Amino acid sequence: MKKVIPAILLALASALALFPLLVTFAGSFMTETEIMLRYSAATTVFDLASGTTRFAQMSLMPNRATLSQYLSVLFLQPSFLILLGNSAKIALPAVAGNVVVSTLAAYGFHAWKSKASDAVFAVYVVVMLMPLQAVIVPNYIIADTLGIKDSYLAIILPGIFSPFGAFLIKQAMKSLDPACFEAASADGAGHFTLFLRIFCPQMKSAMAALAMLSFIEHWNIVEQAVVFIKDYYREPLSVYLSRIASGSAGIAFAASCVYMAFPLTLLAMGQDSLEMGIELSGIK
Amino acid sequence: MKAIKRHAGLVFLFPSLAGMIVFYLWPFLRSVGYAFTDKTINGEFSGLSNFISLVSGKSYQIGVINTLIFIGLSLPGGLALSLILSLCVNSFKKAGKLAMLLLLIPLALPSGSTVFFWKSVFSAKGALNAMLVHFGQAPVDWLDTSASRVVIIAIYLWKSLGYSIVLFSSALRSIPKEYSEASSIDGAGAISRLFLITLPCLAPTIILATIMGLINSFKIFKEIYVLTGSYPNESIYMTQHFLNNMFTALNYQKLSAATMLLALAVSLVSQGLFWLERRVSP
Repeated sequence: MKKVIPAILLALASALALFPLLVTFAGSFMTETEIMLRYSAATTVFDLASGTTRFAQMSLMPNRATLSQYLSVLFLQPSFLILLGNSAKIALPAVAGNVVVSTLAAYGFHAWKSKASDAVFAVYVVVMLMPLQAVIVPNYIIADTLGIKDSYLAIILPGIFSPFGAFLIKQAMKSLDPACFEAASADGAGHFTLFLRIFCPQMKSAMAALAMLSFIEHWNIVEQAVVFIKDYYREPLSVYLSRIASGSAGIAFAASCVYMAFPLTLLAMGQDSLEMGIELSGIK
Repeated sequence: MKAIKRHAGLVFLFPSLAGMIVFYLWPFLRSVGYAFTDKTINGEFSGLSNFISLVSGKSYQIGVINTLIFIGLSLPGGLALSLILSLCVNSFKKAGKLAMLLLLIPLALPSGSTVFFWKSVFSAKGALNAMLVHFGQAPVDWLDTSASRVVIIAIYLWKSLGYSIVLFSSALRSIPKEYSEASSIDGAGAISRLFLITLPCLAPTIILATIMGLINSFKIFKEIYVLTGSYPNESIYMTQHFLNNMFTALNYQKLSAATMLLALAVSLVSQGLFWLERRVSP
């Protein structure tokens, strides 16, 4: 009996959290005509005649399920795949680079026994806490200096060196057993052996957690794209989808579904990784 | 030899540190320089004049006020809600795990893929107004009146509750069971256990969740931007809109000054919170 109220609250919150996904998923199987009828804001002659306002009618069930939206998104409109590719071209190098650089850095912080090490780490934490808008001007200045302003590198490189990764993996090291290092050191292992044989294997789950958080972040690039990318066909999908609504609303749902499928698959495979990443980011 | 060994870790830190200096620290110092000069090229020192013209500008003031209102409302509201929900999550085992997954979904969804949904809910002819009219209420122009504040707070809560619920729920699990068992034996009820044991034990986590909530509250700009564009209704024109629009206007002096103030404000607040967190930690 005691658990009734928590159960109701949880069910309600989960349903609300899930609702946008469900509506989008259901919408992706509707015919374009049905989408227009349900979601188009345009007033028709009939509405004017009857004097009523027509509102969007959301539904979790298509009248007639069809794959036609997916067909047109994935096969008939090459622009969608190009933009999906743009998102991947930004996200994948940034995530991979960030995981490698951050893992090295975390080991570096561990192995560099000096007071300066703590001071440097404190600088990492300050930069990590900066909102994106506070680092985008510095990002722009360096991109301008290096002449990469019009390239994806202007977005990828700051992503690779984002201090959050080093912070996250260093946090995970707190659970590491120092005896492992001591034993291996005593056997004559050098830093590279320690890093590859002891550190990396034990940090696997932290690296997965970082990869997950970093992918979610970089799959959803908006601000940097607005500042750096001038050509429509080079934009990542997130920015493009915000414009799609007017012209081709009929495929917006399927396009959204394909786009969200990637991070959702990761989440389904690694719920624990994401939770671990969040927990680590909140430990001081 | 010993000194070399002691500093050998630097080799591993080097790629990250070099990137950090090149891509964050050095350009930040450059932008500080811009903030105090009158032109980007061959500029002369101009004291605080950029800052003065920045803070006396109307659009900057509106942006800052709106950002403060948004954070002031959404941050405490979000913390309270996620604390309640994390208590709920932790009272179930398997169902709690599933609920956690569902609550984390909004975090993983890219903002571009939900913009169409939010538009169909909140636009003048959207589903929310359909519901209001159905129940005999007057429709509200959610995206283009001061009601848009409600919209962005709702989207913030939807998007970032999962994050703080994970933080709270893991902190709750780490509170020793003996505490509440001992107090039940002493006759404490559920409510007094919550206020006398659970909340004090959670104090450091509440502060950390505040810091993360602050960071997340800046991230919600993506959602606002894809939903309403560069010039939304005045009541949700944020500091970020101002900064983005300054880029289009190519005004680097003001932009740098605004960046500096934002960085300063965020550092002061978060360092203050960290200090507080050390004070309340056992």
